Amino acid sequence: MPKKQINKLNKKITKSDLNLAVTMKAQDPQQQKSLDLKNPLITASGTCGNGKELAEFFDINQLGAFTTKGITVEAQSGNKTPRIAETAAGIINSIGLENPGADNFIAEVLPETRKYSLPILANISGYSEQDFITLAEKLEGRAELAGIEINLSCPNIKGGGMIFGTDPEKVYQITKKVRKIYSGYIIVKLTPNITDITETALAAEEAGADAVAMINTLSAMKIDIDQQKPLLANTFGGLSGPAVRPVAVKMVYQTYKKINIPILGLGGVRSGSDLIEFMLAGATAVGIGTVNMIDPTAGLRIIDEIKEYMLSHQIKDLSSIIGAAH
Amino acid sequence: MFKIIANREVGPGIFQLVLNYDQLPQQPEPGHFFNIKVSQNGSDDPLLRRPFSIFDFDAAEKKIEFIYRVVGKGTKILSQLEKGSELDLLGPLGNPFSINEVSGNVHLIGGGMGIAPLYYLAKKLKSSKQSVYLGAANKAELEFFEEKFKGLGVECHLAAMEEKLEIKGSALVLWLNYLEKNTPDYIYTCGPEKMLAAVEKEALKNNIGGELSIEKRMGCGIGVCLSCSCETKAEGQKNKRACVEGPVFGLGEVILSA
Repeated sequence: MPKKQINKLNKKITKSDLNLAVTMKAQDPQQQKSLDLKNPLITASGTCGNGKELAEFFDINQLGAFTTKGITVEAQSGNKTPRIAETAAGIINSIGLENPGADNFIAEVLPETRKYSLPILANISGYSEQDFITLAEKLEGRAELAGIEINLSCPNIKGGGMIFGTDPEKVYQITKKVRKIYSGYIIVKLTPNITDITETALAAEEAGADAVAMINTLSAMKIDIDQQKPLLANTFGGLSGPAVRPVAVKMVYQTYKKINIPILGLGGVRSGSDLIEFMLAGATAVGIGTVNMIDPTAGLRIIDEIKEYMLSHQIKDLSSIIGAAH
Repeated sequence: MFKIIANREVGPGIFQLVLNYDQLPQQPEPGHFFNIKVSQNGSDDPLLRRPFSIFDFDAAEKKIEFIYRVVGKGTKILSQLEKGSELDLLGPLGNPFSINEVSGNVHLIGGGMGIAPLYYLAKKLKSSKQSVYLGAANKAELEFFEEKFKGLGVECHLAAMEEKLEIKGSALVLWLNYLEKNTPDYIYTCGPEKMLAAVEKEALKNNIGGELSIEKRMGCGIGVCLSCSCETKAEGQKNKRACVEGPVFGLGEVILSA
């Protein structure tokens, strides 16, 4: 028997009864912070620009939340091209965190997000612990933001990113320091390039994170067999897309029972069924990333597909299926 | 949705794709591209769309054309699609050629599949004195293009690497032969990056302005993924996206690898 009963009523549920809202809230009542989402869809950082690119195709306010492209303290021009390679049902990217730097982000990007009504999350990356502290200080109190996502898992920058994310002690230290400074909602984004992701998830929780996001990309490469050389200028990159989804679902499932804070599950979601799978595994919210690069309006289609699923399974409250596969 | 009305081989491994559309978000201009989903029936493979510059466009007949070469899995699938099939296209995308203020003697220099976007450009250019300089591996690859450009009444020069046409060599070498005796006021070029770099260098050396259309490995085509970033010489805003600020750039605007 599933721990949580899927909500089935005697009266037939129709489209107007459906409630897609979820709250990213810890099971532990001592933790106060929560993030209300009108639906579980959150754009994954780096796959959706800063809002205006997708807003040309649809009203992004229909999504649950928006995560901005990752920023660092100083502007970064990113890695050399080629930065992207395709593989079966996936892509390998090595963008290298190209971004205008925190100050330009605050001066130019953040004010632009005021026109949207959905919660905005800023993704932050660093090359040192101090970078994360500096970014937390700069973003603290910014009214445009509902929260921040600490990227402890970027595989594409040297001497940083993923290095922090593979060591539970460093995850704890950085999260703890950011927590002291930043009063908004904090999500820690974890890398799958590790033996046991539950250890870093627990470290983030102990240090005061409000949620964890999993997974970032899987470390990967592609060799150009004609040139007989690595295809990416950076040699290695991060694999995303449908190819990684089963790995991500497994990690969410594995982590769900071990932590009390909510999980933002992501990795290769292309459809409503994919999103439902993540929720059944234990994700409260679900990221959509690579799919936006192929179908900019994918979010809307996925919302429709979730509703179809809810109707066919007579589920009134979407949140009732979180972790139901356990 | 777009419906295939023709998808035929017009040269060795080179295909002409003609589509009918119901509606477009905006009228495409020369230099715009469309991102075509080549995987069929919801398949995840290949995952990404494929960007193609417009070869020709006819608003009255609601027709749009592309020329592509079969080089990999995506273009192979595309080449096997039959008349009557439907295709999912995103576009028009990117920054097109600027054509309104250009007059006088105009040269169009195209190498390989880089010739494709120059045709609709030549058709829309208001200048009465145009000449094109086209290069490819061999004559068979150029025949279709030659016929099309001649149909516009444009002066057409051809070069091939494998056999002697006007010369045996590249579009660049061919064009350089005319640079002095028929010096242009403005140029447009598209082709391999090395060729663009050489054309740009010669043009700038001779104080000739112009535009180039760059081919970069793209992810999304809509400016979100930053896969196709091009380095620039400008202070501050260092990188430009080939899919949004490009694929058409002014000469000297982005750093080309020579």
